[in-house]
Amino acid sequence: MISVITGVLLITAAVVNLIAAIGILRFPDLYTRMHAASKAGTLGAGLMLVTIAIHSGEIEIASRALAGAAFFLLTAPISAHLLARAAYVAGIEPWEGTKVDHLKGHYTDKQGHLSSDDEKS
Amino acid sequence: MSNLFLINVLMAVAWCAVLGSFTLMNLLFGFAVSSGALWLTREQYRTSKYFHRFWLVLGLVLLFLKELVLSVVRVAWLVIRPSRSLNPSFVSFPLTVTKAHEITLLANLITLTPGTLSVDVSDDNKTLYIHCIDVDDVDALRRDIAEGFERKIMEALR
Amino acid sequence: MTDMSADEFYQLAIYISFGLSILAFLLTILRLVLGPTLPDRILSLDLLVTLGIGFIVIFTLATGYYAYLDMAIALGLVGFLATIAFARFVMHQGETNDPLIDDGLEQVDKD
Repeated sequence: MISVITGVLLITAAVVNLIAAIGILRFPDLYTRMHAASKAGTLGAGLMLVTIAIHSGEIEIASRALAGAAFFLLTAPISAHLLARAAYVAGIEPWEGTKVDHLKGHYTDKQGHLSSDDEKS
Repeated sequence: MSNLFLINVLMAVAWCAVLGSFTLMNLLFGFAVSSGALWLTREQYRTSKYFHRFWLVLGLVLLFLKELVLSVVRVAWLVIRPSRSLNPSFVSFPLTVTKAHEITLLANLITLTPGTLSVDVSDDNKTLYIHCIDVDDVDALRRDIAEGFERKIMEALR
Repeated sequence: MTDMSADEFYQLAIYISFGLSILAFLLTILRLVLGPTLPDRILSLDLLVTLGIGFIVIFTLATGYYAYLDMAIALGLVGFLATIAFARFVMHQGETNDPLIDDGLEQVDKD
């Protein structure tokens, strides 16, 4: 029973990882690619670690694996946020199909100081 | 409130020590038994507030996991569908939460939920800028976040 | 799954997920080569680390040797720090905005 659950989870995680890879290849610009990498990549690695926790059934391994999964869930958004912010400040242009850009003109200098929505500089 | 959580965990550890085997199932069962013990003493030690908050935090975690799975399904659909028409946008979101840890939690939740990725917070902590991968109605998106995650965070952490 | 035992299915699942992971690796490396900008390449390196963790986990399950799990967690830590360092590099690209370092550089230029 455990091995069937593990097998299904393992294939699911691998498919999610593959979706992240296809997404990073197909999406038009950096910011849309980041969606694929940060969401699908995180869930893929998290599912893999949950799989190993279920398969082992021992607390010392399961606790390590679950702590690793929790760590990924906490750190993946931070690295995505930092990379997106750095790319925007460095002047990487969004895709021409971008409809609304409320961020435009809000960065007051190259050090990434950002003004709020109501105080237009 | 975190005191009671610590007591709960310590009682679960004590349960395992008495049994003499630290397996995952024993620890979880010990946690359930000790929270039952705390629930029994809710009249004497006023632990009911702890349980209320416990359910709120658990609800937040479950909501977060559900939204993560939904967001992967949505990204998967955007990835494998044949047409390539997307409507990405940078959207500003006026924040109601003010404390740093609440904003951090909200930004993390937004990043791992369907179609949104937080890019930056303004210097005065009043506006969160979000990148959306495929959005038609900006105001509906703002309303969804304000009434969904932001309200839940305020309920669970205050 | 009437003609397949649970253990056979498990072995098959390990092979399938190995195959899918290798395919994901190749696609990510294609984006790494294509670019076109530096942050794109950093993003694909970040995803490569994530895929590497998945690969180690499948390998751990295939061999049953759980010491590899520590490697996966350490790889995750290092990958997170590397992405942050790269992001800071993209942001500043040469200018440090740190008076200590910038003054030091000017000193070096004068000498």
